Amino acid sequence: MAVVNFFKNFGKAVAKGDIWVKLSLLWTGSGYAGRKQYVRALLSTILEAMILIFSIGFAPQYISKFDNLGDVQKEAKYNPITMKNEVNDYDNSFLILLMSVIILVVWFASILWWMNNVIRAYELQKMKQNGKHINSFMEDCKDMLNHSFHKTLLTLPIIGIILFTVVPILVMVFIAFTNYDQQHLSPTHLFTWVSLDNFKRLGSFGNNAYFGYTFRKILLWTFIWSFFATATNYIGGILMALLINNKKTRAPRLWRTLFIITIAVPQFVSLLLVRNFFANHGIANAFFEGIGFTSWLKEAGFITTNYIPFLSQPGWAHVMIILINIWVGVPYQMLIATGVLMNIPTELQESARIDGATSRQVFWSITMPYMFVVTGPQLVTDFVRNINNFNVIFLLTETVYKTTNQKMANAKGAETDLLVTWLFSLTQENYNYKMASAIGIVIFIISAIFTLLAFTRVNSAEREEMFS
Amino acid sequence: MRNAKKLLALALAGTMAVSAVGCGSGSSDKKSSNGSNGSGSGEKQKVALTLWGAEEDQAVLQKMVDSFIAQYGDMADITITLGAESESTAKDTVLADVEAAADVFAFASDQINDLVAAGALQKIDTEDMDQTLNAYAKKTSENIKADNAEGAVSAATVDGSLYAFPMSADNGYFLYYDSSILSEDDVASMDALLAAAEANGKKVAMTLASGWYNASFFYGAGFTTGLNADGTTAIDWNKSADYTGVEVCQGILDITANPAFLPAGDGDISNQIASGQLCAVVSGTWDATAASSAFGDGYAATKLPTYTVAGDQVQMGSVAGFKLVGVNAYSDNVGWATLLAEWITNEENQKLRFQEREIGPSNNAVASSDEVQANIALAALSAQSSYGVVQIVGGNFWDPTATFGEILATQGVDRNDADAIQAALDEMVAGVTASVE
Repeated sequence: MAVVNFFKNFGKAVAKGDIWVKLSLLWTGSGYAGRKQYVRALLSTILEAMILIFSIGFAPQYISKFDNLGDVQKEAKYNPITMKNEVNDYDNSFLILLMSVIILVVWFASILWWMNNVIRAYELQKMKQNGKHINSFMEDCKDMLNHSFHKTLLTLPIIGIILFTVVPILVMVFIAFTNYDQQHLSPTHLFTWVSLDNFKRLGSFGNNAYFGYTFRKILLWTFIWSFFATATNYIGGILMALLINNKKTRAPRLWRTLFIITIAVPQFVSLLLVRNFFANHGIANAFFEGIGFTSWLKEAGFITTNYIPFLSQPGWAHVMIILINIWVGVPYQMLIATGVLMNIPTELQESARIDGATSRQVFWSITMPYMFVVTGPQLVTDFVRNINNFNVIFLLTETVYKTTNQKMANAKGAETDLLVTWLFSLTQENYNYKMASAIGIVIFIISAIFTLLAFTRVNSAEREEMFS
Repeated sequence: MRNAKKLLALALAGTMAVSAVGCGSGSSDKKSSNGSNGSGSGEKQKVALTLWGAEEDQAVLQKMVDSFIAQYGDMADITITLGAESESTAKDTVLADVEAAADVFAFASDQINDLVAAGALQKIDTEDMDQTLNAYAKKTSENIKADNAEGAVSAATVDGSLYAFPMSADNGYFLYYDSSILSEDDVASMDALLAAAEANGKKVAMTLASGWYNASFFYGAGFTTGLNADGTTAIDWNKSADYTGVEVCQGILDITANPAFLPAGDGDISNQIASGQLCAVVSGTWDATAASSAFGDGYAATKLPTYTVAGDQVQMGSVAGFKLVGVNAYSDNVGWATLLAEWITNEENQKLRFQEREIGPSNNAVASSDEVQANIALAALSAQSSYGVVQIVGGNFWDPTATFGEILATQGVDRNDADAIQAALDEMVAGVTASVE
């Protein structure tokens, strides 16, 4: 609505404005100059001049090459006299892309500012017609520190967000539509647009469609992992909190502290230790071999190796990762659940007991519904966070897990990879930025859909009132 | 009071933005100096270089840098910054941002194709560069090719041009064993080795889930790998050389089926040596210290054993790997960087590197010296080197062959199912030969 109104106001201003407003379409300062706001007029004019200089003096060298991202390849010749390389004026595709995005963002912002400026000029015209007071520059400055202080405060952070969040994301989105990979590495080589090719490969079927095959396998595991990682931690955390908060439990603080120690130890340390613990020739395997369990498994046909492949074969590794994640994740959930449990109004539970409800009934009809309502949004964010849970997967499987699925290996993936760890190995080890960007967009869409769906459905704030 | 708070908030927002902008501009306009402050005039040219080498080599590199500055200090005003970057990961760091990478860096020879393809390496054997080398170091690229081992030079050569200076010739693997348990006959063949290990309750370890190690079996049986002009990898392992690819795989499957064989993960070998359960292990000079402390007085090393293919004994091949020193083509001082790379790889400095770090030299004169010949690990390496192959492959070689090795290591295919083995070989070859992206 706000967007429509903005355009309506602009149209109205252009149509009904007097000469000063109409002139402000070309000279942005005129609207202020006509109402005797000379300093503002000067500032607007300077900004307009800067935008024009930027657009004419700086932007063309990059934006003119935006259509094919450059076509002059780097050539260097060594000069033995200066002992330096003489390099031609080559195009750097990545720089062209980055600068073009920045230029487009600046232009977009400039147009908004220009339209807003016309609207503002019309407002001033109306104020003058109605005989209202028009601020002097000093009054404007004071206003920026009082009435409009939020604008002053937000200006710099917004510029920061645009430069350091919006621009990089836009660049990544654009790369997904190029052939930026190891064969086309900037700055030595050029890359160019390939429209939807990368997305077609992610969705492709067939015998040699390694990327499509790997993408579907990894996507499925990402969802399975995310579901189980979230569910097991959630349930485990609540059960643990109930257990520790139970009146019959002795020394609850001791137990709570013990579990929190797993939080205190960084995941890098604890996960790498566990990884070594369950390695093919690690302590766990030595133990199971010692008691003869390994040879029993082998005779029974469960394994083909002389060790138990806890973290090195599909199935085994999948289950182990989820189990280990319970160990590192439950303490967090336990803390949250403890807080929520203590918040449940005791009169609810007591009145239920007086009415003759059993402990189980109290748990299922009062405790759990309350938990769900309060922690619903957190459950959703946990799910989305687990889709991108890089740490656990990477630290547990990196260098230990070698896929035996040849089709996945041909696309540099593995059965235990999440989309995000696959993306990591594509960029860090294979410089395949184009596919990584395409996968990045897919991850973003998935995360966005789940977050939006969940937050529109799970509306805890309203339903919490039922309890109080 | 209220105003003070607002001012504080404003100041905070300001510093945040300014510091953020500061970071941004710092990284974006670093490559502005391409003007030539030419030599020739009386004033000394200012030269700032960065050198990357392995963490463990920093001390010895500092000595070489000092002697370089002492040698050339009166011709230019040289400052050199040392950085630690493992040879095994140099490629990843350099390619991540080639303009920000060091002027001179050491890397393992298998990375040279990707580095050249990305335009990160300066060509050495051009007429112009020879002029510089001749004027300052009194040698040309021809001398460098003649002074270093043939394999090392060919590993530093891409499409007939020399792209790096050979630094060491010890990046290969051979067999360490415990001579208090195993006799020389035992280590001659894999079958005898595994039988002896089993009899003594010990194990024999080798990495199979890596195309660098498992190529040993295929090279031994006459198979090859290579690089095509378009950057894709050529590989014939699914066809037949002296034997068929299936027969080689069956030979490997027979080894991995033996309970005395321990297929260690890539990078896990050192841990396994330290665990004390091994009596023999396939590894390289980097594990010499670990092996000598684990095997004690029995510490010995030799060439790789033979293994059984279709009833015959076939000598295992190996990858002859080298460490090279390259010059960043984006360096602002390419000439001086080349001179530095030449300096740290010349005869004296290869000798120094061996004396201080026991790194096997690629320089022929140093390699034939008595000291080097007396080194157990390096002697084994040179015994294996006649079966060594310079492995020239593209980026798609590694993942499919690692997976294939893992399948063999875990008995993922049935030894007697020749069709399944052939299908796995075909799939692996399809992945390796796929176009690079």
